[in-house]
Amino acid sequence: MFSEDTVLLLYEMSDVLIAGLSNGSVYALMALGMTLVYGVTKAFNFAYGDFFNMGGYFAWMLIIGLGLQFGGYVTIFIVVLPMLFGVGYAMEKFLISPLRKRADWENRIMMLTLGLALFLTNLYMVVFGVKLKSLPAILDGILEVGEFVFSYQDIMIFCLSLGGILLFGWTLNNTRTGMAVRAVAQNPAGAKIVGINIGRIFAATFAISTVMVGFGGILLSQKLFINPSSGGAIMVKAWVVTAFGGMGSIRGGLVAAFIIGIMEAFVGWIFGMSYGIIALFILLLGTLIIRPQGLMGKGE
Amino acid sequence: MHLRQMAAFIGISYGIMALLPILVGDIPFIMNILVMCLIWAVVASCWDVMMGFAGIFTFGQVAFFVIGAYGSAILAISHNITPVIAIILSGFITAGMGVLVGLPCLRLAGPYVALVTFGVHMALQPLLKGEIGLAIGSGGAAGLLTIPPISLFGYEFTSSNIIPTFYLILLISLACVLAIMFMIKSHWGNAFLALKDSEDFAMSLGISAFKYKLMVFAVTSFLTGIIGGVYGHFYGVLSVRMLDLDLFSILMVMILAGGLGHFPGAVLGSFLVVAGSELMSPLGAYRAVTMGALVVFLVLALPDGVMGIFLKWLNKDDSANPAGSFSNGTIT
Amino acid sequence: MIRVKKLNAYYGQFHVLNDVSISVEKGQVVVILGPNGHGKSTLLKAICGLAEKTTGKICFNDNNIIETSSEKRVNLGITYVAENRELFPHMTVLENLKLGAYAKRARPHEKQNLEMVFDLFPRLAARIKQVASTMSGGEARMLAIARGLMSNAEFLAIDEPSLGLQPSLRTEVFNTIKTINEQGITILLVEQNIPQISELASKVYVLEEGQITFAGSALEATNDEHLKEIFLGM
Repeated sequence: MFSEDTVLLLYEMSDVLIAGLSNGSVYALMALGMTLVYGVTKAFNFAYGDFFNMGGYFAWMLIIGLGLQFGGYVTIFIVVLPMLFGVGYAMEKFLISPLRKRADWENRIMMLTLGLALFLTNLYMVVFGVKLKSLPAILDGILEVGEFVFSYQDIMIFCLSLGGILLFGWTLNNTRTGMAVRAVAQNPAGAKIVGINIGRIFAATFAISTVMVGFGGILLSQKLFINPSSGGAIMVKAWVVTAFGGMGSIRGGLVAAFIIGIMEAFVGWIFGMSYGIIALFILLLGTLIIRPQGLMGKGE
Repeated sequence: MHLRQMAAFIGISYGIMALLPILVGDIPFIMNILVMCLIWAVVASCWDVMMGFAGIFTFGQVAFFVIGAYGSAILAISHNITPVIAIILSGFITAGMGVLVGLPCLRLAGPYVALVTFGVHMALQPLLKGEIGLAIGSGGAAGLLTIPPISLFGYEFTSSNIIPTFYLILLISLACVLAIMFMIKSHWGNAFLALKDSEDFAMSLGISAFKYKLMVFAVTSFLTGIIGGVYGHFYGVLSVRMLDLDLFSILMVMILAGGLGHFPGAVLGSFLVVAGSELMSPLGAYRAVTMGALVVFLVLALPDGVMGIFLKWLNKDDSANPAGSFSNGTIT
Repeated sequence: MIRVKKLNAYYGQFHVLNDVSISVEKGQVVVILGPNGHGKSTLLKAICGLAEKTTGKICFNDNNIIETSSEKRVNLGITYVAENRELFPHMTVLENLKLGAYAKRARPHEKQNLEMVFDLFPRLAARIKQVASTMSGGEARMLAIARGLMSNAEFLAIDEPSLGLQPSLRTEVFNTIKTINEQGITILLVEQNIPQISELASKVYVLEEGQITFAGSALEATNDEHLKEIFLGM
């Protein structure tokens, strides 16, 4: 029916699509974390990319000590994710909330997180060295379905990310803390009236977002390398995705992440990897000029 | 701060600077550091005005500095324009860039300006290193190595005749800082402060926050471009390594140490930090880590920097600084 | 139950409340009247821990709670119902009500209180899944009061519940407040205009320019010529 060339092309394209989906799912994790924090606490965290790497580095540190089987990764998640939660919680509670008393708190928070980002980036370089590190895949090997070839790694990343996203959504809608987070995002005054401790919710929100981005870091560091100085670039990417989807919009973040993940994969496939960044910037510029509030604007 | 206090502070700081060569004029190493102090004082002041006074969080300062430096150098090398004119032209080019960047993003919320200017910064390095850069004469990855020094009436201001060069740069730096002071204390500056307290009232007077912010953006980029050019012609070499992100933490420490939003503070801050940074160079790789940690510490512990302490000691109510006039109540 | 002694409140530099002292006994309905912008809302907010800078004493059952956070006060049984309602716009009626029971003291009674609230406000029961931002003014008012009740409060500070409502709805609101009070909840009410004041309230205060200018029973209030004209709409 189709010529052999076309068939091969379709297979290649499906590969690219899968890669795009798996990347996109991690971007979704990152975007959701960022949009959550910004929507609820209005704080902007420049160190976000360095938290992504923190997840990767925590995992890497554990791997030197433990084995590399699937069981190994379960341990990693059990140990690292709570650590990330703690880091995020402490950061909001001790570093950020004291700044909200000032009139120029937004800028001060940005300065503090920028300083923190530079601190962490250089700390990673000093502690872990400048060389790139990598994590072993959760699941090696490939899955063959008829003529289609998928790597288990991509599948695992996609599934785990999706799991994370679903857990996130469930938490927001079904747990008391989750509902409190939504309440604070929608109406802080109302939240106070109802007896919600806003400081604690801010800290919990920050902690949740740190877990999400760190989790994304662990996942993606299997496929790509951990680069100590990539914090800035990762933060910018998360930002572009979030801005494209609309700051504060969960649905927007999800949609944007997958669109960008897939778009990036195809642009890279057709034109070459370095053009992916250019495509991102064009997208960002376009967003700022045509529709600055992103796809789904401001909302919950 | 009142105009008189600001002017006095600037006068004293620069005055002391002007006298230092008497003590250390024969130590080129220290003289070089002093020149750096003077140059960074302008960059830090510009960034402080943008962030602390105009309330715009921008990553543009370093980018504009580099654009100013490269612009002037390229004009001098590839187009044989004499450095003095090249510097001035470069200032205008940089100001143009500032307006170009400012126009779309100043209307947007805080983080967006930061994002766009960060993008400009990130884009600058590959641009200068790559083909486009080579085409306009940036020297690519190797940078520029043969930038001619400033010469007036046949006299060359290089690092060999460090003392006259020092005084020239001191004058330029002082002029830039004074320009900033007049901009803040002008009719427009005071109006802008009124705007921050009550938009409706200011609007009724016909003052547009957007226009003022754009003007501040343009003026600070102009001054930063100029001092960037001066830097290039003083050092004679330029490379894209100047765009490393660590520079931001150093600049932030300067502003925070001086006092965010307390204008002349950044001048003192830059003097302190350049000196301190030299003292810290034995730390090697740990220096950058320390700088980052310092930023976090300063933002939390010393929110108004040295100027804050100074002002408290003077016991005067700093009505010129919006951040300082906010009372201690928590926002409910 | 609530004794406010020499309360001073500031909004920035502006001295909103000046040495205000009032008291509300358990089981009472006390009304605070006064012109707009003279501090009535601030007084309520201060009692509930939602005002900015305050000095003085606020005693709840003989404990000075002026330093207590607003969340803790909700757990003590003091709840504020805002003039602006402050609902959660993108959540349904049910979700808003459930969040009303967020405080620890309210959680074990959530189910009962939901039933109670739906009994009291049948209109809300009919609109469980409706999103709060789509409700009419009257319905939103009811939801705000209902949400306040969900916190299992002993003391409700209600800020101008009848503002902007048609007369028929107004009467309904006041009747509801009476019913709530009959169930044992102490109420401090801020209003501009209550014709039915003597049926509803045991005590009346008038707050003008941040100071109490009248304190007395509802009967005395209705017999005061000055008050009759300005506040009671008679």
